[in-house]
Amino acid sequence: MSVAVKAGSPAELKQVVYKHREKLTRKQLATRSLLYAVLLIIAVIYVYPFLIEIFTSFKTESDATADPIGLIPTTWTTAAYQQLFVNSDFPVWFKNSAIVTVFVTTGRVFFDSLAGYALARIHFRGRGFVFAAVVAVMAVPSVVLLIPKFLVLNTIGLYDSYAGMILPILVDAAGVFIMKGFFESIPASVEEQARIDGAGTFRLFWSVVLPMARPALITIIILSFQGSWNELSQFIISSQSPNLTTLTKGVASLASGQVGSANRYPLKLAAALLMTIPVAAMFFIFQSKILNTSDGAVKE
Amino acid sequence: MSTLLESTVIESTQPGGTPRGPRRPRGGIRGGESASGWLFTAPTILLLGLFLLVPILMALWVSVSDWSGNGSPFSAGVHFVGAQNFGSVLSGGGLTEENFGISLKNNLWYVILVVPAQTVVALFLAVMVNRQILKGRGFFRTAFYFPSVTSSVAITVLWLFLFSQSGAINNVLSWLGVNGPNWFQEPSGIVQDALAGLGIRQGPSALTGGGFLGVSWWDWIGGPSVAMTALIFMAIFTTSGTFMLLFIAALQNLSGEVQEAAMVDGASGWQRFRFITLPQLRPTLFTVLTLGLIGGWQIFDQIYTGTQGGPAKTTTVPAYLSYTSAFHDQNWGQGAAIGFILFVIIIVFTILQRFALRDRAVSKRRMRLYTIETGGRR
Amino acid sequence: MQRRNRWLAAGALALTGALALSACGSGFSSSSGSSGGKLTSSKKPLTVLIGSSGPAETKAVTSAVASWSKSSGTGAKVIAANALDQQLAQGFASGKPADVFYLSTGSLAGYAANGSLLAYGSMLPNKSDFYPTLVKSFTYNGKFYCAPKDFSTLQLVINSDLWAKAGLTAADYPTTWAELETVAKKLTTGKVVGLSLNGEYARLGAFMTEAGGNLMNGDSSKATADSAGNVAALTFVKKMLNEGVLKYAKNVGESDGGQALGSGKAAMTIEGNWVQGELSADFPTTKYTVAPLPAGPSGKGTLQFSNCWGIAKDSPNQAAALKLVEQLTTTKDQLGFSKAFGVLPSIQSAAAAWKTQNPSLVPFLDGATYAQGVPTAKGADTVVTDFNSKLETLSTSDPKTILAATQTNLQAILK
Repeated sequence: MSVAVKAGSPAELKQVVYKHREKLTRKQLATRSLLYAVLLIIAVIYVYPFLIEIFTSFKTESDATADPIGLIPTTWTTAAYQQLFVNSDFPVWFKNSAIVTVFVTTGRVFFDSLAGYALARIHFRGRGFVFAAVVAVMAVPSVVLLIPKFLVLNTIGLYDSYAGMILPILVDAAGVFIMKGFFESIPASVEEQARIDGAGTFRLFWSVVLPMARPALITIIILSFQGSWNELSQFIISSQSPNLTTLTKGVASLASGQVGSANRYPLKLAAALLMTIPVAAMFFIFQSKILNTSDGAVKE
Repeated sequence: MSTLLESTVIESTQPGGTPRGPRRPRGGIRGGESASGWLFTAPTILLLGLFLLVPILMALWVSVSDWSGNGSPFSAGVHFVGAQNFGSVLSGGGLTEENFGISLKNNLWYVILVVPAQTVVALFLAVMVNRQILKGRGFFRTAFYFPSVTSSVAITVLWLFLFSQSGAINNVLSWLGVNGPNWFQEPSGIVQDALAGLGIRQGPSALTGGGFLGVSWWDWIGGPSVAMTALIFMAIFTTSGTFMLLFIAALQNLSGEVQEAAMVDGASGWQRFRFITLPQLRPTLFTVLTLGLIGGWQIFDQIYTGTQGGPAKTTTVPAYLSYTSAFHDQNWGQGAAIGFILFVIIIVFTILQRFALRDRAVSKRRMRLYTIETGGRR
Repeated sequence: MQRRNRWLAAGALALTGALALSACGSGFSSSSGSSGGKLTSSKKPLTVLIGSSGPAETKAVTSAVASWSKSSGTGAKVIAANALDQQLAQGFASGKPADVFYLSTGSLAGYAANGSLLAYGSMLPNKSDFYPTLVKSFTYNGKFYCAPKDFSTLQLVINSDLWAKAGLTAADYPTTWAELETVAKKLTTGKVVGLSLNGEYARLGAFMTEAGGNLMNGDSSKATADSAGNVAALTFVKKMLNEGVLKYAKNVGESDGGQALGSGKAAMTIEGNWVQGELSADFPTTKYTVAPLPAGPSGKGTLQFSNCWGIAKDSPNQAAALKLVEQLTTTKDQLGFSKAFGVLPSIQSAAAAWKTQNPSLVPFLDGATYAQGVPTAKGADTVVTDFNSKLETLSTSDPKTILAATQTNLQAILK
């Protein structure tokens, strides 16, 4: 995420803008007010659904249907949450999602950077071929692999196990690509020095280059965390046991519901809300990095 | 959705990261480099091979076999049936062909409507929040991007509530005096609905008579169902934030001088956007469009969670059809065949993407030309 | 850039080569499955996979299986499936299916055809006690595959308060289509629709049987979708839809007819006996009455639904599985299930006891004498799904056209 490379001369641009600001006409003022109004309306459209999600989860069933747009429940209730934690497998789903996410994130950070480093820095026969293969793999859409992946997991006996859920997504081509790009941007002189000191390739990678790759590693962490936490199709085809159900799978089955069950909106929304919290937390922690707002937001 | 985010990062990494050409080997030949190179890449090669290459090969076999889902597809009772599965999907004349035709129609409309809409919305948002004078840019970016972070399952659950018969959306519509539809239960196509509004309820025989893949031309042009339209809104809602980031990154890399020159020339805001900013954004625009196209063909989670292909099959898409053919109807060969056909469709769009990326060099040169021109004029 | 492209091309070439090679090479590394007349037997515990309607059903089945396990000494575990179809498919394909599982009439043919199921029907000591129509539903290629677990029929369910409010009494329960239409009109007010049901074959099919039709004949060997009776039935339904006295449940914002009735949005619905569990759980205060479905032009008719206890051919312990199924289909266990989640016992000898226990639900069990099954031919599920999708727009389309298309599709699967 080297978005930090800034455009030519922001300072100059700002100057121009500021010059203009001094002579604000009434028309410009109106335009600006309009801009804010439009943006605020759009922001409400983007944010309000999540507010509905939060507050409806504390409503009663009938209240949710009767007043689907108002925020404040007529009677506050945590029935939905009690139902989720006491009378459903929700805690198991959460645990499974957490397990998968931890393994996938750790695995991707390690293997992606290992392969990325090799492709960027180590000269070996077949490097170009490996890189081409990685690029080719990125073109294969995951949804067409639903049946094929099941067939393979089944054949090699990993079906319905944590290994079967984790291994197929333990490495991602895009991550390798990102890491390769990053390692190529590190000056070679750093390694030269360590090499002269007699460090082996793995030590060089592990204790010299990898610590420098923090920004790129954070990118991989964000992507892997989100990717594996939000993954659905891979878990549909790799497991069937209720003990291995992840949040996405569990909540999806909750949403599609059983025939003859009531709408149970507060329950479903509570489940959706809870499964959003970890990725939301991740997002807010690394917000400035993801949104690259370092220039504007911080100053304001 | 994760694919989209990944591409964001690739996009924003590339300018600083990827060098132009192959790096010149430094120093002499070092012993063991080859070994460690392969060692370092071995886990990646192994895993990607095992869970990408091998699956594709196995599915290829299944797609030309009569395996019906019991035991190994390589057991003796399974026979080679040639292109039979592909045949019944593409031209059988039966329900299989019709179902595939319907799914293709649904997804095509989805792509046709989602891709331009999400691009325009993303570009609009990017231009708005990228203004230096805007206060609270951080807040707006967060607000617009947040939906992209959440899982498609969670968003679908929320959407089912918002678009239910007596839900929030219909509530808002009723303020405007509009009696909203029962979104996720309404199978009628929106184009046909509009025509019905004009009094045209029955298509001309030229359209209802003929057809393609078991679906009449009249139904092909019928538009996405109301239910699918709700999913289209959802796609715009969840992806515009990601693409907004791509555009913001591109906007920040634009040359300020050109803008400045135009400002001095007295060009209006719209003129500056239309004739200076937009041409410079062309490469990103291409990337966003192609990524949108590829992503649009991969819609699955939303269908699995929300509509299961209904109402009246109007949200069935090839990916979901492939899944149900295999896992529900025991037609594994047909399911795999649909997967490969979808693969081909997506590959076609990937090739388009390659063209789009190739265009980048050209437009950069154009951009430079433009810079020189304006420079000259000044 | 040039170099990378060359490598990409080379990669693609290699990929194609590898694809071609392994497609040839991997085909026939065979592993032969076990076969033979004797049941497998081992010490392995049984897995029972159920598609549960809710906590009540899961609990009842779990405790019944546990008590069998205790008395027989064979371990057994009940798993409530998230998506039964998919989990069954994955289980059979992986060669490690559940030993005993719920199997719907629609799935029987597919799994029987691909050899996933043990055809144990003839080994059951009480095989003649099951209702004959149920046995027919679980017979494929002349073999009685699996024991009907229980069954359900459709009848008319009436919201008592709304019925009384419209000035109607027990004497007004409709016995003909015309009467049904009349009371539906009376019951329809601004907020309430007279009759609401799911717009699918599994409900509207009842009208088809009342007019002497159905999608296929009794043993699903012949397509009868375009019969005059079916056309008459759908034409009648269409008329009611267009009069506004019949609405599909989802068009009143509910997931099914039971919900529409319980929430007071509909005064009548056509549902199965499971509706009692649904109503008491979700709408404990709503009062309702079960009346027999009105007769159509050809007399009485209704649809019946059933699941059986499937046993996997790949099960390492078929003998124990069979013993478990025998226990689960006894009068005692079936009455227990009935009490817990409102199903009808699949054996005739349990009928009398059931009727005394469930006086208000008697019409459902009475339906067993004239009920017809749903199509069980391989591929019929897909055709019914397609038929259902067409029924969604019944109010604006031609019943004849719908039925003709379905007839073609049914004939295609019989080839």
